[in-house]
Amino acid sequence: MFRRFLSFEWKQFSRSAHFQKGIAIKILLAFAALYFIVSFLALGVFSYFMLEEMQPERDPLVVVNNYLVFWFLIDLAIRFFMHQLPVMNIKPYMLIPIRRKTVIHYLLAKTTISFFTFLPLFFFVPFSIVLLTQGYTPINVIAWFFSMLFFSLSLNFLNFLINKNNAVFYTLLSILLLFAGLKYFGIYDITQAAGVFFNKFYTLWYAFSIPLLLLILLYRRNFSFMRQSFYLDDAVRKETKEASATELSFLNRFGKLAPFLKNDVKLIIRNARSKQVLLMSFLFLFYGLIFYTQDIYRDMPAFLAFASIFITGGFLLTFGQLVPSWDSEYYQLLMSQNIPYRQYLESKWLLMVVAVVVSFILSTPYLYFGWKIYGMIAAGALFNIGLNSFITLFGGALNRVPVELNVKSKAFGNTQGFNPTQMLIALPKMAGPMLIFYIPYKIINFEAGLIALALSGLLGLVFKSFFLSKIEDVYQKGKYKTIAAFDEKK
Amino acid sequence: MIKVEQLSKKYNQTEVLHIEELEIPKGQSFGLVGNNGAGKTTFFSLLLDLIQPSTGHIISKDIRIDQSEDWKPFTSAFIDESFLIGYLTAEEYFYFIGELRNQSKADVDALLESFTDFFHGEILQQKKYLRDLSKGNQKKAGIVAAFIGNPEVVILDEPFANLDPTTQIRLKQIIRDLAKTKGVTVLVSSHDLSHVTEVCERIVLLDKGKVVRDMMTNEVTLQELETYFAK
Repeated sequence: MFRRFLSFEWKQFSRSAHFQKGIAIKILLAFAALYFIVSFLALGVFSYFMLEEMQPERDPLVVVNNYLVFWFLIDLAIRFFMHQLPVMNIKPYMLIPIRRKTVIHYLLAKTTISFFTFLPLFFFVPFSIVLLTQGYTPINVIAWFFSMLFFSLSLNFLNFLINKNNAVFYTLLSILLLFAGLKYFGIYDITQAAGVFFNKFYTLWYAFSIPLLLLILLYRRNFSFMRQSFYLDDAVRKETKEASATELSFLNRFGKLAPFLKNDVKLIIRNARSKQVLLMSFLFLFYGLIFYTQDIYRDMPAFLAFASIFITGGFLLTFGQLVPSWDSEYYQLLMSQNIPYRQYLESKWLLMVVAVVVSFILSTPYLYFGWKIYGMIAAGALFNIGLNSFITLFGGALNRVPVELNVKSKAFGNTQGFNPTQMLIALPKMAGPMLIFYIPYKIINFEAGLIALALSGLLGLVFKSFFLSKIEDVYQKGKYKTIAAFDEKK
Repeated sequence: MIKVEQLSKKYNQTEVLHIEELEIPKGQSFGLVGNNGAGKTTFFSLLLDLIQPSTGHIISKDIRIDQSEDWKPFTSAFIDESFLIGYLTAEEYFYFIGELRNQSKADVDALLESFTDFFHGEILQQKKYLRDLSKGNQKKAGIVAAFIGNPEVVILDEPFANLDPTTQIRLKQIIRDLAKTKGVTVLVSSHDLSHVTEVCERIVLLDKGKVVRDMMTNEVTLQELETYFAK
């Protein structure tokens, strides 16, 4: 039976809509996957020596063990975000004479074969091999390796148990940030305590039985959970939440735009996919931390400009590139109604602008890094409002990929809204601000670069209606193509 | 009201629709029947300018549909679920359509009031998003939304499918009323021959994209249709 299942699985994979897209995407995806694999491999191979060099007085394995708590917390957070138990797949098997146990075991086993299981392996395997070559006791290293593997798999099953509960996710995220903050300001170092815990898996080789037990326990919990809900009216049923009707009448002040704005706001807060985008754009706010905290980038202000665009542009970039795909599910309705494209576009534009402004306000703590950085963020925000918004909308208009609103997108399983045109359009969004900043910076000085960036944004605002009508033209011309493309999948 | 001239639609080399000439006068209830692939939905999509004709055109109230958008204010339709906005409640959806068609909330409420029977208490104040309603109830919401804003042309694709018997009977009454008393041109397609013959004054039978019968409904129409499809 398992063999039959596996062949179905292969068909589902090779016949899925996204896989049949152009070869260019496949290559890009392969590159992205390769990139991650290579970086984890490199991390696995070299981290031992790097740590040895950086802190010669400490055992590299102990250092790694200290930080494992963050590794696993982040791992769980990402899994929560991206990985759902594929419960719906049971439905076709319910009436077929196969033992339920078989189906459930299969389904659970299948979830372990995922990107999230393999990626850590690319780190742990080479790292363990390095440990062996460095004269660590083989049996302990192997025990440690399996402990890590079992922990990783336990997270996989833990994720499905907590997956339906958003509160858990936010708690997790807060714990993560709290620990990171406490450590950063030197108040309390969780890594010490966690390090003691994880070190035990090396020093006491039989300790691997703990994560193994945990794994078995979690697997059984998942199994019994699915066993109980193997009925149409339970897990297999799509979840329906009670609708909360909202008037949003405060948006009426926008006159002709109001109906669209109200709709867009509801779209964002009521669908899984768009909520994901919302969270992503929140995470973009922290993008600056990567760049501003490192001295190498201090001397490369062009990269700082690049980072600044992301801090305030998270929502703009992630949401904007999927206009009009957000409305793909009911595009035929919109097209047969008396809808001026202009108002439709302006509503989306306004949302993006508001998001940039909100992100800018939220980015105030970056003042900590000094006025120069903050000025950069401000200039970046202006560029986002005045130019990036239009570039993104223009790119979206060429992007005719339907979006399933209430389905979470998966890591690498979902290439919706990802195509070569999109990549081309992304170029000016990223490289544009860097150039606009860099040239006057090189010729005159830092402030000149800032002013140039800010001015380019303001200039874009002046030409707002020109840009909007250009984008409108693209919509008009592509109308039938867009309808056909959005209609395809169903 | 609606005039079809030399209309055809080709995908690659296969012609899926070819109508030389067809005229639908104002206030007529017009039925379209035919097997799968006969071209019913293609015809409706052309009427709504959702696809482009390969040759010819449709004129609705002196407006060429593929050239101007001025037909939109007086035309409305419910083709399938892609006309519903899944994340809205039924009320929100009706008000949204109302706003697009220049109807105040009070106007929409008044219209909805007259459909209380039709809704049968399953659409309004349900605390459910449209995507969570059953297929039949989704259809009810979509059909009523097509009546918002006093349209002069209403296009309904397979309106009877998925509806329960009570609602089917009510819908038939509603469609007849629209055509007779309000002068609305109603275009309906259906696989259920008895439903269309009951509702429509005129029935056009499509086969492989061509009009094979065009008849005014009378006592023998149903039988005629049944004989045709039985062969």
